[in-house]
Amino acid sequence: MSATTLEKLYSELDFAVLSVCKNELMTCLTEPPSWFKHFYPSINKNHQLNQEELPGFLQHFMFDAENHWQRKQPGQLKSGLWVEEAPDGTEWLMEATAVLVEDDRLLLINLTDKDHGTHQKKQQLMRENLLTKEKLELEVHRRTQQIREREEEIAIRLISAAVQRDEETGAHIRRIGLYSAEMAKELGWPMSHVDDIKLAAPMHDIGKIGIPDKILQKPGRLTEDEFAIMKDHSRIGGEMLAGSGISLLNTASIIANYHHEKWDGSGYPDGLKGKEIPEAARIVAIVDVYDALVHERVYKKAFSESKALAIMDEMAQDHLDPDLFAVFLSIIDRIREIKDRNQDEEI
Amino acid sequence: MIQKKICLLGAFSVGKTSLIKRFVESIFSDKYLTTIGVKINKKKLSIADQDINLMIWDLEGEDDYTEINTNYLRGSAGYILVADGTRAKTLDSALSIHKMVQDLLGDIPAVLAINKADIEDQWLISPASINDIDKNLTVIKTSAKSGDNVEELFTTLSQNMVGTK
Repeated sequence: MSATTLEKLYSELDFAVLSVCKNELMTCLTEPPSWFKHFYPSINKNHQLNQEELPGFLQHFMFDAENHWQRKQPGQLKSGLWVEEAPDGTEWLMEATAVLVEDDRLLLINLTDKDHGTHQKKQQLMRENLLTKEKLELEVHRRTQQIREREEEIAIRLISAAVQRDEETGAHIRRIGLYSAEMAKELGWPMSHVDDIKLAAPMHDIGKIGIPDKILQKPGRLTEDEFAIMKDHSRIGGEMLAGSGISLLNTASIIANYHHEKWDGSGYPDGLKGKEIPEAARIVAIVDVYDALVHERVYKKAFSESKALAIMDEMAQDHLDPDLFAVFLSIIDRIREIKDRNQDEEI
Repeated sequence: MIQKKICLLGAFSVGKTSLIKRFVESIFSDKYLTTIGVKINKKKLSIADQDINLMIWDLEGEDDYTEINTNYLRGSAGYILVADGTRAKTLDSALSIHKMVQDLLGDIPAVLAINKADIEDQWLISPASINDIDKNLTVIKTSAKSGDNVEELFTTLSQNMVGTK
């Protein structure tokens, strides 16, 4: 390709082509494009420029360009886009490219203004869309929070209703939720599920609402028939809370239904065994027993924590999940803190 | 006169260009116009009887598809990180850029601007998360719109750069 053809090519591409000498002087190899004269009005072909006369951005790029030329790397090095303000106040979007051609160190400067409008519009649109997406995500999060708060409010009302007819205190109900959430956290449950069990666990005995007062509030021991009716509270609770499609209530339904199942399969209502029993129900079984043992009941005094844990250790052979009981023991400090902080005040 | 290069860094649409325009030209526009590539602005300052020519590099903001070209940071004497108080994620971006720059350039002076202080009642960056920021990083609440603390932002960084603060 002849020098003239090459010069025409540069002209067609709207490039300013500078040859860079080692003494930091640069020679303009082609007749510079008209836009280049906004910055250097008197520049012509073969005109020499000192690097100090270059725009600040290009002076910065020359450092990278020098490295590129010195290492004789194949290919081109692009500066990235920059906006340069001409002395007349107009702004131009440009890019420079450093190339080595047969030991000639060339700096090609091109105006991307022709595409600038399109490029700018695309970027603008893309970023405006990202901003809209951010706003929508925020709104979804806000609305989800509102729904969650409503679910929690409904759950608290349900729990309050159950407490009215039961001997259990509000503090016990709250502790069961907090203990269960602590266990779930330790087991690495996702935070949304931890939040669910915190409110769902307190509803474990909600089915007692369907048990006649004469049985529920009977002082002393229940007969076999009465106990059979009493046992039905888990099924009643499970059915009450089932089928809503709400994650919190689904968890509550599972816990209500299965929290009296035992590890060895001797529990009720379905006689499930081992890990057939849903994990949420196995967690609640453990924390419910603990809380009952370390607090006073009408039929017993409060046991010391060590005695309670010794009893539970026995129960971990047949009644409680032994692996989950080990987890419970590993976080006993946190459990004890919850117990101490949540003593009998009303919910 | 000494010359110092500083960079403004942060997520897109946090107000980097607006802060510069307010500082250099004392103007503000509500219209969001995204920055493409880099634009260099200049401003002369006098700090403790020392004249400084600030070369302010306005870098295109980061988004899911655009990362900062780290070549642009070379030679910086300091940098301003910018977050938008109404967009919590932009603080995470600013702090992650801060870490990247520290890894690259070491501990050069930096200031964090939390912008849009004129609508602080709508901020989603909580006082607690501001409190959690490393105490070595000066945090300044700015408003490019009202001009509040914009001068202070650039002056604080300049003072840190010339060692008068």
